[in-house]
Amino acid sequence: MSLLQADDVAKRFGGLAAVDGASLTVQERSITALIGPNGAGKTTLFNIFSGFIRPERGSVLLNEVRIDGRPPHAVNRRGLVRTFQTPRALRRMSVLENVLLAAPHQPGERLWRLVATPGSVRRREREIEEQARELLRLVRLDGLAQEYAGTLSGGQRKLLEFARALMTGPRIVLLDEPMAGVSPPLAIQLLDHMRTLREERGLTFFLVDHDLEMVMSVSDHVIVMNEGRVIAAGTPDEVRADPLVVDAYLGTHGRAVG
Amino acid sequence: MSTIASLQFWAFVGVIAGIYTILALGLQVQFGFTGLLNFGHAAFMAVGAYTMAILVVKAGWPLWGASLAAIAVAIGFGLLLGLPTLRLRADYLAITTIAFAEIVRYVAINAQGLTGGPVGTIALAGPGEAASYNRDWLEFQRSVQDGLEVVIGENATRDVTMLVLVWAVALVLLVVVEAAVRTPWGRVLKSIRDDEDAASALGKNVFAYKLQALAVGAALAAIAGLFFAFQFSFFSPGDFDPLVTFFAYTIVILGGTARNWAVPVGAVLFGVIFAGTRFFDFPPFSLLDSGERAYVRLIVIGLVLIGLVLFRPQGLLGKREEMVLE
Repeated sequence: MSLLQADDVAKRFGGLAAVDGASLTVQERSITALIGPNGAGKTTLFNIFSGFIRPERGSVLLNEVRIDGRPPHAVNRRGLVRTFQTPRALRRMSVLENVLLAAPHQPGERLWRLVATPGSVRRREREIEEQARELLRLVRLDGLAQEYAGTLSGGQRKLLEFARALMTGPRIVLLDEPMAGVSPPLAIQLLDHMRTLREERGLTFFLVDHDLEMVMSVSDHVIVMNEGRVIAAGTPDEVRADPLVVDAYLGTHGRAVG
Repeated sequence: MSTIASLQFWAFVGVIAGIYTILALGLQVQFGFTGLLNFGHAAFMAVGAYTMAILVVKAGWPLWGASLAAIAVAIGFGLLLGLPTLRLRADYLAITTIAFAEIVRYVAINAQGLTGGPVGTIALAGPGEAASYNRDWLEFQRSVQDGLEVVIGENATRDVTMLVLVWAVALVLLVVVEAAVRTPWGRVLKSIRDDEDAASALGKNVFAYKLQALAVGAALAAIAGLFFAFQFSFFSPGDFDPLVTFFAYTIVILGGTARNWAVPVGAVLFGVIFAGTRFFDFPPFSLLDSGERAYVRLIVIGLVLIGLVLFRPQGLLGKREEMVLE
């Protein structure tokens, strides 16, 4: 079943057509990769899916409900979460607080509930903290829980964003270059976790990355963009063999990757 | 006895510090915790003070009802300002808030029929009649003063009574705000300060929280405005010029951003420099007459601020680590 579906999505910046009629489908419980040369429109498309940019044309459906034009927080509450290419650590908050913040359904985020139902706020906070610590263990940041997030390295911030994204209780996670700056052994572990989360919780992952070897090995579906359009989609093997892809993307090296 | 050693003098300095504590606490919520650059804070103080005075003098409201209404009206103005402007980037928001504050002040100067105009609230009831809005307040203050006399004898003057009242309210508000920023609600505010895109990507309605921060800050400024009005029995538009907002920023920066307990520390220090220097009768201050000292104190405040930014940018109680996080 298709969880995320884009039809003829377009967005221009001045004279530049960053996304120029892109259509794609992400299947539920898949690990799907979006690849393409620099400037192909991948990040713009992620910004459109997550509500940060309103497309000029086309539609985006999440679980058969239109989400294009909705603000980011509303998209998030429908079950889509995204990370950023340059990680956005909340610098002056602790690592743990970064993850706590991401939890949904905390009544204590409303002033009147703090006064009216302090008991349920505290109960939820205990649940959240337990969950947050577990996620921090997953990304090996549990030892740094009390440190300011601003003290983390670039790679650690990527990991923190990953944990934070999972904390929102998503159905689909959009990862913008999740492995950039993450040490190879940890990156492999994270990929394992992605597979486990897909099996155990039915999560869907949709990622952009430039590490083609990693992308091809982890994904069960690959979508290739060039100049704002989707030029190919299929299994890693199909995409590798596609002459258009070899020409537009891989062809710059004069050979197919594999 | 010299002024500097008298209890009355320090009581007056303390009252000013108390009023500024409440005012700056509102800015701490907006700027320190949420990252909103509101340069029109003094306008909310003005809205609070004027709404109360107008309702009492012109509509015959009882003081307490008028005071509550004044806080509500200030919150209303906060929402009015926030709805069209809070989507703006920080620097643009700053510019519009300055404009907003100046509009409020100019309306106060020019709408003489409503506000008494440039001469102030004394003209609220029209020409030839000296208007007063704080009869109820003075009565209340008198009864508190009588109670205080039992405890501290003849030291319980008007200023000392005011000192106790202002600080009682300021401390309650400090405790409440401190409790609020430690909750999940406060966590969302801090996340907006650090990175509002990240906050919205994580499902937080950034706009709604900014609006709440603006409203809370407006309410606190209005309360400061009420105490200002009660203390001086009379005020005019000039009491709410942009300098007042910058004094509040000075206090927040002096104490340390995002630290509630730094606000009273900054405010007391500010009060001593601001209200104090006028009455300092020892050298080098004694070389100047009191009119000159009134200007020298502004220079002193400026120098203190420059020195602080140079040597202790995190403020007196701030954490240095937080300043270097990128």
